[in-house]
Amino acid sequence: MIALAALALASSFWLLLDLISVYSQSTSTFGVASFEDRFSDFRKTLAPHTVLGYLSDNPVTDPSSQAEFNLTQYTLAPAIVKPTIDEHLVVVNYHSATPDAAGLRARHLISLRDFGHGVLLCRNETR
Amino acid sequence: MTFVCVALVWLTGFGIARFLFPAPPRWSLHTVFLFSLATGLGIGIASCLYFLGLTVAGPSLLFLAILGIIVAVVALLNGILAKNRGIALDWGPGPPTPIYLTGALVLAVAMAAAMFIVHSIEKPHGEWDAWTIWNLKARFLFRGGEYWTDTFSSQMPNSHPDYPLLLPSIVALCWTLARVESISVPIAIAFLFTLGTAGLLISSIGILRGKTQAFVAGMLLLASSSFIQLGAMQYADGPLSFYMLATLALLCLQDCFPRDLRFSIAAGFAAGFAPWTKNEGWLFLGALLLARPLALLRFGNRAAIGPQFLGLAAAALPATALAAFFKLHFAPPNDLVSQKFADLIAHITTFGRWVITAEGFVKMLFLMGGFLLPIAVLLGVYWFLVRFRVEEHDRTSLATLLLVLGLLLAGEFAAYVAFPPDIITQLNVSLERLYVQLWPAALLVFFLAANPPQLVSRPAPADAKTKPVARPPKPKRRTTQPKPADPPVRLN
Repeated sequence: MIALAALALASSFWLLLDLISVYSQSTSTFGVASFEDRFSDFRKTLAPHTVLGYLSDNPVTDPSSQAEFNLTQYTLAPAIVKPTIDEHLVVVNYHSATPDAAGLRARHLISLRDFGHGVLLCRNETR
Repeated sequence: MTFVCVALVWLTGFGIARFLFPAPPRWSLHTVFLFSLATGLGIGIASCLYFLGLTVAGPSLLFLAILGIIVAVVALLNGILAKNRGIALDWGPGPPTPIYLTGALVLAVAMAAAMFIVHSIEKPHGEWDAWTIWNLKARFLFRGGEYWTDTFSSQMPNSHPDYPLLLPSIVALCWTLARVESISVPIAIAFLFTLGTAGLLISSIGILRGKTQAFVAGMLLLASSSFIQLGAMQYADGPLSFYMLATLALLCLQDCFPRDLRFSIAAGFAAGFAPWTKNEGWLFLGALLLARPLALLRFGNRAAIGPQFLGLAAAALPATALAAFFKLHFAPPNDLVSQKFADLIAHITTFGRWVITAEGFVKMLFLMGGFLLPIAVLLGVYWFLVRFRVEEHDRTSLATLLLVLGLLLAGEFAAYVAFPPDIITQLNVSLERLYVQLWPAALLVFFLAANPPQLVSRPAPADAKTKPVARPPKPKRRTTQPKPADPPVRLN
């Protein structure tokens, strides 16, 4: 029983240290807080029941692509965000501060408002 | 204000728990049991009432506030004014508890709390499922106003709009009453469930098997980093594991005190909240309704089946009915279950899926918990030293627990084989969580069957009665022979 107690406590202590060391070294800006900051001005302009399309400059195969889409939805709730640009209004989540105007034009998107930090609200001309 | 709301919810649960099992107003094992049970009862009832309120009166703060205050005051008054009746829950008979074990448990509690706090500071919004599903739904309910039904919009398949609403509802209720969307609410709810599960395991094993067994079980649970981290991630698996444990522990207590039907009623309440927490709760409820009568028929008092089962089913009915109403009226079809029949047949007839699932289930036995040594090996060694010994009066409880856990594992195994198109990814992202759901209940089974370490000690010398015993004798490796008059059942 002593061995069991010691092993359980050692495991717990080891993982606690592990957790602290991982989090103390973490410098990533990715996460909910950074998304909340980037989208906070945009969110204030949204009414409930709004449906938005979504466009990002992440490659589709990028593992963070899905996470960023989900975080955008989480941040902009109660607006509904769909992973398509086939909506009248489209939220753009770019990683550069200067939007890719040519890329937007090629997708028939017209920028309505630039909220900074790569966040734009666009209108789809075809919808 | 947010903490006042969370406290009000917990106090409601405490009032109901104390009304069911009145305890003297002093610190005791009975109080720990009530404190732990209060978390699940309070949150479950408040969550159901919030959702009912939304469907009946819409998102009206006034209505919710009045309803909340009435329920809390009535529950608290009933709890406070409840006269002592029935049995007082106290430590079961067992060997004396060594001081180092008490110290180890205190240390395990402190480290588990530290782990939870560190995780919550670093990730206050929880992990992936928390912000993709549970807290997202809470935001829709709270921010959506008259459009609160957008929570279940099939335009957001990633949020799994068919998932039940215990967790989102309680978070949204506290935000609504406090009129502020504070991230401390989901953290506090997750903390209460994690702490409540540990408290419930320790107190129920303490009542049934004594302090030593309870402390070892509690320490193992609290040292399981998967369990603590899953709580801090703000997933619904933690609450579901609470309700499973609460149901099964209360049924064990029912078997211990067969004339007191309040245990079956309380177990019914807990079981009813399971399908309102996660879809797996339906499987749990089904397994329970099948296993309990079978166990009673085989090992229990057959005359007790009717009253016990009636109490269990009647108490489970309101929350289950609400979960069913949600499924039928609001939720779109589940993405996994609503696959084409031909695809399901193709999945089931693919032998490789059975092998992959079996491999995953076995592997996880060794990986789960995050211990330095695999938990299956740890428990195996512990079993080798103490062995199992099942007394006559424990057979019904153990049969219920083993049948329920067996049916749950079989059901989940079948679901993995039949439903997910990408079985490997599905196993990777969800199997450990499934095991963590069952982990507290599995510990209850293990320590209910295991001999307390003292029972394997050498027989006392013949003149022991005349000599004072300085300290408990050292345990032997093997169990002593069972008494011929009352032969226990050995499961090994």
